[in-house]
Amino acid sequence: MGAVAAALGAGGPLFVDFPFESQYVTSIIYVSLYVSVIAVAISTLVSVPTAIVVGFSDFRGKHFLTTVINTGMGFPSVVVGLVVLVMVSHEGPLGEFDLVFTKKAMIMSQFVLATPPITGITLAAVTGVNEEVRDAAFALGGTRTDVALTIVKEARYGIATAVLAGFGRAISEVGSVLIVGGNIAGANGVSRTRTLTTAIRLEARSGRYDLALLLGAILVALVLVVNAIVIRLGDTGGGGLR
Amino acid sequence: MSLDAVGVTHGYGGEATLRDLSLSVSPGEVVAVIGPSGVGKTTLLRLLALFARPDDGAVSVDGTSAWSLSDRERLALRRRVGMVFQQASLFEASVARNVEYGLRVRRSLRRRLRDELLGLVGRRTRPDAVTDALSLVGLADDTDRDAASLSGGEAQRVAFARGLAYDPDYLLLDEPTSDLDPRNTAVIEDAVGAAADRGIGVVVATHDMHQAERIADRVAVLIGDSVIESGPAESVFDAPSDERARKFIAGELVY
Repeated sequence: MGAVAAALGAGGPLFVDFPFESQYVTSIIYVSLYVSVIAVAISTLVSVPTAIVVGFSDFRGKHFLTTVINTGMGFPSVVVGLVVLVMVSHEGPLGEFDLVFTKKAMIMSQFVLATPPITGITLAAVTGVNEEVRDAAFALGGTRTDVALTIVKEARYGIATAVLAGFGRAISEVGSVLIVGGNIAGANGVSRTRTLTTAIRLEARSGRYDLALLLGAILVALVLVVNAIVIRLGDTGGGGLR
Repeated sequence: MSLDAVGVTHGYGGEATLRDLSLSVSPGEVVAVIGPSGVGKTTLLRLLALFARPDDGAVSVDGTSAWSLSDRERLALRRRVGMVFQQASLFEASVARNVEYGLRVRRSLRRRLRDELLGLVGRRTRPDAVTDALSLVGLADDTDRDAASLSGGEAQRVAFARGLAYDPDYLLLDEPTSDLDPRNTAVIEDAVGAAADRGIGVVVATHDMHQAERIADRVAVLIGDSVIESGPAESVFDAPSDERARKFIAGELVY
């Protein structure tokens, strides 16, 4: 019994007999955060520049692309998981890398899931910056790059919201990580590809509601903390950035 | 030395159309462009500010025609002309950062990064030009305020200081006081005079004829699609030669 279990064990009748290893719980949290944070980080590096380019250039098919991005926000995660699984399976194009039931495959599917919301919300944020502000940056002698940087800065709260939305989707999603990750925990009780969401599903089905509820509470707490950080960023207008 | 629009035609099919229009401003001179709303004063200013290429005709800065140049060469020209808009459109940052913007974009990338880092640890001193420009509009004590906390009049005064801080040769003002109370209007008008005294050539688009009379050395009356009357302020207001200009100045409806 670790510190978490001991603390909870003292908490109330539900946890009188705390029946699980704290190592099991912490390794699940670690896998969840590891996969979601890396997927969202990579997605942000791709999405934000994409949104800026799409937002500030005119080309054929722009409307179509915007529609695809917005549709992608609601794309069913099980289908994404299925497609990624087919890609990384031994017969698939990425079969040689042996990625089935690995964290890397989970990062791939979460990247696919997080990119549409991050791109879509960033796009809305940067195109929502007042045109007069753009004109002002240009009139003051800014180059196209200066104007773009100014817009990113003006839209920083919206962009932070976009990244948060992507993270929220990634960490609370169950379908694709279950398919590509396989919900695997080792015999030693350490999670390999088991996330908070897939663990909740498993524990609830096994009737271990106390553990499932604990994992659920941790998941909600994580999402709340991230939200709080973003709201705080918004309140201070980006803190040291200005 | 002058900023010139020569025979410009622009905006066919759009809302504001200009045809074969010429206007020029010399250093230290204040030119007011007056005319009814929607006549294309803003379009004219945007052409002078090199925002858009005229469909026909030329815009030149001190004799260099802007649109025959490469983008890079034109940037150098564009940076000598500033424009302040009807809406203050300040950036979401402190007053000082807003006013320093024009200076900042003219610095090397290396210098800008250095400034940002020094700024983060609070070791950066503010350029004098920022404080100077803000004192001209009476806001020298408000440098650290958040731009979002300013009143409309203060915001417009900061926008003016922002256009002035990097010391442009020419400054274009689009209805700079249309939403302001008399006191803020007076501050801006005094600042326009001070800018002209520093040798800046100023073009003010305004629908306020009294303002034009107060601040302008020369007045151009824009009615229809071109300047129909221009000259020293007194002669345009006291004895306009064009019939439509006379009616407009007398406060009658003109088309």
